[in-house]
Amino acid sequence: MSPSESGAWRRTSPFAILFFIGRTIKSFTRSLIQLIATFGALAVLIERNPQVALAIPVGIAAIVAAGVLQYWFFRFRIEEDRIHIHQGVVRRTALDLPFDRVQGINVERSLIDRILGLVTVSLDTAGSATAEGQLPSVTSELADDLRTRIRAHRPAKVADDIGAGDVPAAPADGVARESSARADSAGQVLLELGAGDIVRIGLANRNLVVAAAFLGIFGQSVDFAADTLRPILESAGDAFAGAGVLVQALVVTGFVLLGLAIVLLGALLRYHGFTLWREGTAYRTRAGLLTQREVVVETRKIQQLTLSHNLILRLFRRHRLRALPAALLPNQGGADTPGLQLAEVLEVPLLQGPEAEDLRTRLFGREGGALSLLPRSPGFRRVSPHYIRALTLRISVTTAFVALPFLIPLLQSNAGTHLADAVQGLLGETPLLGAGSPGTVALGVFLWWLVVIPPAALIGWVRWRRQGYLHDGDGLASRSGFVGRKVDAFLFRKAQSVEVTQSPLQSRKDLATLHVRLACGQVVVPYLDLGEASWLRDHILYRVESSRRRWH
Amino acid sequence: MFTNPEVPLESLPGADDLDWHPLHPRFVRRLQLGALLRVLVIGAIGAAAYSLMKAGDSAAMGRGADALLPFALAAFGLFAASVLVWPVIAVPRRGYVVREKDVLYKTGVLWRSVKAVPFNRVQHTKIDSGLLDRHFGLANLSVFPAGAGGHKIRGLGADTAERLRVYVSERIEAEAIEPGDDGRSPPPDPAAEAGATPDSGPAADEG
Repeated sequence: MSPSESGAWRRTSPFAILFFIGRTIKSFTRSLIQLIATFGALAVLIERNPQVALAIPVGIAAIVAAGVLQYWFFRFRIEEDRIHIHQGVVRRTALDLPFDRVQGINVERSLIDRILGLVTVSLDTAGSATAEGQLPSVTSELADDLRTRIRAHRPAKVADDIGAGDVPAAPADGVARESSARADSAGQVLLELGAGDIVRIGLANRNLVVAAAFLGIFGQSVDFAADTLRPILESAGDAFAGAGVLVQALVVTGFVLLGLAIVLLGALLRYHGFTLWREGTAYRTRAGLLTQREVVVETRKIQQLTLSHNLILRLFRRHRLRALPAALLPNQGGADTPGLQLAEVLEVPLLQGPEAEDLRTRLFGREGGALSLLPRSPGFRRVSPHYIRALTLRISVTTAFVALPFLIPLLQSNAGTHLADAVQGLLGETPLLGAGSPGTVALGVFLWWLVVIPPAALIGWVRWRRQGYLHDGDGLASRSGFVGRKVDAFLFRKAQSVEVTQSPLQSRKDLATLHVRLACGQVVVPYLDLGEASWLRDHILYRVESSRRRWH
Repeated sequence: MFTNPEVPLESLPGADDLDWHPLHPRFVRRLQLGALLRVLVIGAIGAAAYSLMKAGDSAAMGRGADALLPFALAAFGLFAASVLVWPVIAVPRRGYVVREKDVLYKTGVLWRSVKAVPFNRVQHTKIDSGLLDRHFGLANLSVFPAGAGGHKIRGLGADTAERLRVYVSERIEAEAIEPGDDGRSPPPDPAAEAGATPDSGPAADEG
C-alpha cells in the first residue's frame, strides 16, 4: 500500500497493541505510591483468601483485551493539510490536527519497532495534550511522508525567517533560499559521537560524582559487606596480615566498578550512535542503543541555548549543549485548563568549545554575532562585587536557620553551660547567661553564624567569579555556576517579559537584578548597575516590540 | 565586545520616568478588610486553643497557658497591627502604565520590581474578582505571555479593568499581525481567543 494514500481511514499495525498495553499499564501506575499500594493490597488479599490470586491472570487478560480494543478503535486519516485521529473505546476522542499547528515531529523506535521497521510518531502541538497526537507503530515510510507533508505545508513566506536572516529578505530571495535549503535537506551531519565520547558522558554522569562522594563519606559502612565476604576469602586464601584491609579495598573497588558499569551502560543505552544533523531548517538528533529516539527541532522554535559543564566535563574540556524550545505553551483555551505540554529539548550531550560556537552561529543565524557560549570568553563582564556580600549574607543566614533545630538542644545541654561559663570568664558575671537560658541560646546561634560567615563568603566569592554577562545589540549571554559552569544565551526578540528588581541593599548601591523571562524559562543577571539594567530592559523591550517576526 | 545597535541610546524609549497610574483608592480598604478577616480567624483559633488548655484536666497545662498568654497576645497584636497597616504602605507604591507597545507594573516596598510585558508576546488575558473584590467594586487583571511571568494587576476598579482588558486585547491583535502569516498559523489564534475568553467567563460580568 502506498504510505501517502489520502483520505482513507486506517489502522496502525497490530504491533501497536503492545504500545497500548504499555500505555494502559502506565496510566494505572501513574505514581510509585499507587503501584506499591496496589501490590500491597493485592498481597494482603491473597494472603487472606488465596482464590483472589485468580484475579491476576484475569487482570492481565483484561489489560491485553483493553490494548486490543484500543488498537481496534484507533484510526487515523491523512488529508492534504491535516490529520484526523479517532481513538478511545468508551470515551471516544476525535483529533483534527491541521499540519500548520504541528510544532515538531518526534520519532521513537523501541527495540521491537526497530526489528520490524516501525516507528512511533509524536506530533508536538501548541495546544493539545501530547498523547493525542501519537501514532504508534506505523511504518517509517509513513513517518517520512508525514514529515514532508508537514514541511511542505508550512506557509512559504514564514519559512524565510527560519533562515539565518536578520533583515526580512525580499520574496524572491526568500524563495531562492528556501529552495536551496530544500536541496540539501537530505541532511548535513554536524556531529557524531564515538565510543570514547560515550565513555566520557558516562564518567561525567552527575550521579557518579554524587555516589563517589557518598561512598567517601560513608566508606565505613562498607565494613558490613566486608564482614560477610571475609569468611569466604579467608577460607580461600588462608590468613595473612592485612586481609581485612584487602577485603575492604576489594569491596570498595567492586562498588566503584559496579557504579562505573551502571553509568557507562546508561550512557550507552541513551547516546549510542548519537548523530546531529541539519535537515533544511530543522535540526535532528538520533541516539539510543535499544530504543532509538529522534528529536527534531525547528531553528525558529529555539528560545535559548544553554552550554554547561560540570567538574568532570571540564577535565575533558567538553561541554553539554541544550537548545530549549518553548517549554510550556499554554493551552489555547486558557492557562487554567490542563494540557500544558513539554516540547522536546534538542540536546547535544558532549561537544567541544568550537563546535558549540559553530552550532550557536547556526542556530542564532546572523543575529547575536558578538555573543559567546564559552564560559572563558573574554567578552564576559563581571557583576558588581556587592553580589558577594549579598550571597554571603544569604548563605550564612540560611545555614544558621537550618542549623537551629540542632543548635538549640545542644545549647540547652552541657555544651551551652560550658559556653556560658567561658563567656562569663571573659566578661565577668552576667545574669543573662544561665544554663540553657534564652541568652545562651542566642549567643550560641550568633557565634555559629559568625563561624559560618567565612565559608559562606568564600562560596559567594567563587560564585561571583563565575557570574558574568555579555551582550550585543541582539542578544545576551549570562554565565553562572559554582563548581561547574553554565552559560545561558538568548536573542532579545525571543523575550516574553522583562523585570528589573531591587533589594534594599541594591537600592542603596544603585544596583539592580535583571530577569528576562522566555517561553522556556528565565535568565537572570544579578547585581548590575541600575542604569545598565534599565538600559537593557528598555533595549530588550524595543527589540521585542519592533520585531515583526514570529518568536516560535 | 559591546556593539551599539541601530538605535541611538538616547532615543530609546525609557521606562524610568513614567506617569504611574495608582491602583483604585478602595483597594487599601479591601486589603484591610481581608486582613481583618484573617486576623479574626487566627484570633478565634488562638482563643479556642487557650480555652481548651484552661479547661483541660491538667493544672500544669493551665498554668502554661497563663504564662504564654502575654507573649501570645503581644505577638498577635503586633501581627494584627502590621497586616492592617501594611496595605496603607504597600498599595501607593504599586502602579501600572499602559503604553502603546507594552504594559508595565511596579510593586514592592523594600524589594522593588518593575516588570514589562510587550503586547506582541501576550497569549491571553483574564479578569477575575473575588467576593471581597466585588463588594468594593474591584477586579484583577492578569496578562499571560508564553511561559511563566505575566502580570497580575490587583485592585483595579471593575470598569477600569474591563476597559484595560479591551485595550490590551485590541493591542494584542494589532501587534500580532505578522508579514508572511496566512492567518492560519498559531500566533493570531491566542489573541483572538484572549479577547473572547473573559467575555464568556462569569467573572467579568458579575462585578
